[in-house]
Amino acid sequence: MTYILNRLLSVILTLFLITIVTFGVTNILPGDVAMMIMGTQSNPEALEGLRQSLGLNDPLIVQYGRWIGGMLTGDWGTSLIFKQPIAELLLQKAAASAVIVVMSMTIALALAVPLGVWAAVHRDKWQDTTSSTTALLGVSLPDFFWGIVMILVFARWLGWFPSSGFVDPAEDFLGTLRHAFLPSLALGLGLMAHLTRMTRSTMTGILNQEFIRVARAKGLSERTVIWRYALANAIGPVITIAGLQIGYLFGSIIVMEFLFSYTGMGWLTYQALLNRDLPLIQATVFVVAAVVMLTNLAVDLLYVAIDPRIRLG
Amino acid sequence: MRRFLTTKGIIGLTLLTIIALIAILGPLILSPDAATAMDMTARRSPPSWKHPLGTDQLGRDLLFRVILGARTSLEIAVSAVLMSIVLGLPLGLISGYFGGRTDNILMRLVDTLLAFPALLLALTISAVLGPNVQNTIIAIGIAFTPFLARIIRGEALRVAQMPYVEAARASGTTDVMIMVRHVLPNILPAVIVQGTISLAFAILAEAGLSFLGLGTQPPAASWGLMIQASRDQLDIAPWTALVPGLAVALTVLALNMVGDVLRDILDPRSK
Repeated sequence: MTYILNRLLSVILTLFLITIVTFGVTNILPGDVAMMIMGTQSNPEALEGLRQSLGLNDPLIVQYGRWIGGMLTGDWGTSLIFKQPIAELLLQKAAASAVIVVMSMTIALALAVPLGVWAAVHRDKWQDTTSSTTALLGVSLPDFFWGIVMILVFARWLGWFPSSGFVDPAEDFLGTLRHAFLPSLALGLGLMAHLTRMTRSTMTGILNQEFIRVARAKGLSERTVIWRYALANAIGPVITIAGLQIGYLFGSIIVMEFLFSYTGMGWLTYQALLNRDLPLIQATVFVVAAVVMLTNLAVDLLYVAIDPRIRLG
Repeated sequence: MRRFLTTKGIIGLTLLTIIALIAILGPLILSPDAATAMDMTARRSPPSWKHPLGTDQLGRDLLFRVILGARTSLEIAVSAVLMSIVLGLPLGLISGYFGGRTDNILMRLVDTLLAFPALLLALTISAVLGPNVQNTIIAIGIAFTPFLARIIRGEALRVAQMPYVEAARASGTTDVMIMVRHVLPNILPAVIVQGTISLAFAILAEAGLSFLGLGTQPPAASWGLMIQASRDQLDIAPWTALVPGLAVALTVLALNMVGDVLRDILDPRSK
């Protein structure tokens, strides 16, 4: 219990620090919101008037307070490029990206766990070499390269999946999945590589332990020993790594959504950065960091829940 | 040395040497405008005797572009990783050596930065500073610092508890001297391993940043930029994407192989 409480406290502290970093970094940007609304060629007096009315002449700490206050009360401001309330925009785009996150994670785990187990069981044999080589190739190729290959093969040549765009799930759920599939597959292959290596090394360690020898000596079938005994113990670390990959995934998703013109969070973040839409940059960067951190927290708690040996505190 | 001579180590090191030689010697042999010279009669021509790797939409020779791109990409990656070591080493060393409250404060800061996906952090910094080669280095360097700091801190924490450090402390050696003379040399293997692996990630990050238009800018040749330019002509000239893509892949593969072997040698615990 104390462990969970401590963890929550540190999460709140980190969230607070994240807001400071986000606000700080975006405030070094040359030019300000007023100039972006009115353009660089605008009348200096009008610009000054707008600055005054937007409160841009207030000390940074006051501006920061106003920003945090808005975030806490649900008033996230309006995007300068989309002319839409940011909270609404974010919710919509986050849902689109959630499809990709879930899909790519599922693809990655479904491929990585069997491949990793296979390698660990046949350690130092050709199966292991094959699996390790596949994983090494996977980590070495940029995921947008996979994306390009996917577009070439599955969209242009075979014509099985669309190469760009996003469909609202409320209108056509199957269409959403079809549009999300190629970017998810490309991301999933990149993730798979890391997870395969992790599954292999964890499983190798576990297969050398006493209780596995005991299980084998008891005459249990090899299948039971590996999938019920060994994997049950290895899955914890693998899930932890999968959870930690969420951060990596949120980075890659920007590139992937750009490549596939899939209008999710990554695409939104990119548009915000490219057009220097300050309020939108602040909101998206903060939300991504917060989601990454909360996922890590969830993974920690899940870990405690599924592995009774580590009820810390 | 003998332990480096595994299949993986040999292939990785050979590849890496070839790539490094190309990146260093290429620009010395080729004229600077070899990569920008346009052959309008041979636009998007597939690989041929005249253009072994084909040409792009402006009729520029892809072999020359990929060679000159190697220099840009490697230069950025190496500088960025060096920068993250320069920033992360003192941070991790102080944090791990002193422990306690110092460690708490510094690591809280590092954890905060770790919550930002490295690519997002790099993109944001690059957008803030304005995209060019120098700022790409700064962006990637800062984005990678927390990872370095975390790993160095863990190592420093371990080494700081060694009997020889305690002995040095008991004999009145100052903290700075202990850190420099006793802790630093013992955490260097970990720094080298992490540095090699970070190089691979930095190559990928540069490619990603340039691909999004927030890294190297045209007319410079960088691998990410080449992949970006190929995007609109995938179906008519797929080689324009495959050539730089494979260049990135081979380099990262070589770095990962060398990194893996180095880790096995320098950090026996990971075996």
